[in-house]
Amino acid sequence: MKTVTINPITRLEGHGKISIFLNDQGNVDNAYFQVPELRGFEKFCEGRAVEEMPDITSRICGVCPEAHHIASTKALDAVFHVEAPPAAKKLRELLYSAFFVADHITHFYILGGPDFVVGPKAPKSERNILGVIAKVGMDVGTSVIQHRSDALQVIATIGGKRIHPSCGVPGGVSKTITEEERTKIETIARSEVEFAQYTLKLFDEVVLKNQEYAGLIKSDVYSSKTYYMGTVDDQNRVNFYDGKIRVVDPEGREFAKFQASDYQQHISEHVEPWTYLKFPYLTKIGWRGLVGGKDSGIYKATPLARLNVAEGMATPSAETEYKRMFEMLGGKPVHSTLATHWARLIELLYASERMLELSKDPDITNTNVRNIPTHTPDEGVGAVEAPRGTLIHHYKTDPAGLVRAVNLIVATTNNHAAISMSIKRAAEGVIKNGEVSDGILNMVEMAFRAYDPCYACATHTLPGQMPLEVKIYSKDGAVLRNIRRP
Amino acid sequence: MIVGLGNPIMGDDGVGIHVLRQLKQRTPPRTDLEYKQLSVGGLKLVEEILGYRTVFIIDSIESEETIGRIREFSPEQFNNTYHESGPHAVNFITALELYKKLEPTRIPERIRIFTIDIKNEFEFKETLTPPIQKAASHLAEMLANEINRTHGQDC
Repeated sequence: MKTVTINPITRLEGHGKISIFLNDQGNVDNAYFQVPELRGFEKFCEGRAVEEMPDITSRICGVCPEAHHIASTKALDAVFHVEAPPAAKKLRELLYSAFFVADHITHFYILGGPDFVVGPKAPKSERNILGVIAKVGMDVGTSVIQHRSDALQVIATIGGKRIHPSCGVPGGVSKTITEEERTKIETIARSEVEFAQYTLKLFDEVVLKNQEYAGLIKSDVYSSKTYYMGTVDDQNRVNFYDGKIRVVDPEGREFAKFQASDYQQHISEHVEPWTYLKFPYLTKIGWRGLVGGKDSGIYKATPLARLNVAEGMATPSAETEYKRMFEMLGGKPVHSTLATHWARLIELLYASERMLELSKDPDITNTNVRNIPTHTPDEGVGAVEAPRGTLIHHYKTDPAGLVRAVNLIVATTNNHAAISMSIKRAAEGVIKNGEVSDGILNMVEMAFRAYDPCYACATHTLPGQMPLEVKIYSKDGAVLRNIRRP
Repeated sequence: MIVGLGNPIMGDDGVGIHVLRQLKQRTPPRTDLEYKQLSVGGLKLVEEILGYRTVFIIDSIESEETIGRIREFSPEQFNNTYHESGPHAVNFITALELYKKLEPTRIPERIRIFTIDIKNEFEFKETLTPPIQKAASHLAEMLANEINRTHGQDC
């Protein structure tokens, strides 16, 4: 048995690594994705006042704090048995839509998109936002940064500050917006809609009309059949902020639909000794190992999963793009991991349109944004769709509102098993007879980059690199080859 | 601007913020000096320092060999990492390079990066370990002396 290990060494990535095991013929036998568990978090929060949780949990991750902040705020609503006024929910959703816009722009243009815009075989030094700008022009680069910054400004307006916004309270939000602020947000939202439409056209031109890239999207190397999970509204349309959690099987049929508070009846966690992170799976199907198919409880929770789960999008232009994607890819559900990038752009358009809808809602400047809790706190669950999957916060408190227990199912956790499977499939496609080329790093990375995995617990980037190391071990455990990113 | 960088609920990882807090206590208020406590990286970090002439960034670096060591870097010393980014974020150097192209007039004239070596246990807590606490105090004193000595001048 030979081992190929891709081992990020940086502090930002913690102990995350990819391990690929080869058989005696030098072909891929198995692959695993190991990430750091958020050890100690639950212990750290014991005894804290539960109202602190939206601000504490937003610091679990320095890249997507808004997701934790809003999920936590919704959990507080449940813990205190209080419902936020409609205007407060709309403000939360408006902030959250702006967050999705900023996050999805960042991922396409800066993180995952360069694989396509610059090319998967381009030199590593070019496969980043700088390479994208070199290819599509400085004006596009300026536009990317401007639209991202504008979305963050909306977050600051509603949430109090652009970094780690802090507006969520049990029963509502802590601040309103003025008519002047609303007008600015509406202007920004219109521009975001146009930019999202431009981005989808760019994807069409650069990716879908490129036979090589379109082939990659449809190839078996990047395909795995699993169940899919996402949040939908009462018409089964994608909703990032609220709704029921819906699961469909690998053939697209509804398997389950439940309130977030019932998640423990539907999701269990499997433990493997070689990784800190557990593997969530569908309880009623069961754990069958890292395999796909209808008899395996593994599911994905990604932008593509959300579109697979839903029966449409709740805004008009996004709905048109949704239909187009599934027509072009042969119907639902789509199992291609790389199609996640396309789904993400449709979500970008939806989030932008939703920003515009909410910014034009006369109720958005209503000053009634808080219902004061009166019930004794005890237990509650809050869930949202994070950009990279369903996020669940579950708290238990004593009658004084001090935390007694915390459970989180983080978006990437949902996808842990699926990521491993995708990495294995990609590795199988590029490693043959023991030959491992430098191209393995990017081909395998493309598989897992599509999931936009978030396992950053720390928040720094100094030195901030993700040096990857591929080690190939002989059957006897000796290192045959060591490939490192510079 | 002085930036204290770190995650305040992850022990020694938050040392940059602890140094910042001590530094604020050791320096008198000035109109030409601003302090920021940040728990971000990459693009968001660069966006926070745009428009300032001189920026100090205080952060931790993981190293099991020399825990508590204090060092100073310039961004150029990380140039070999500028194309490296994780799957979920762009690193600071790449982000800086990006903004040099897009908004060259707003890039700080000088960026000084001060680091303390830590062993990151990925444990959630709000306090520092004793050797890091000691290093933090030392770095805060060192920077306070320099800031107070160079009042009105470039550091």
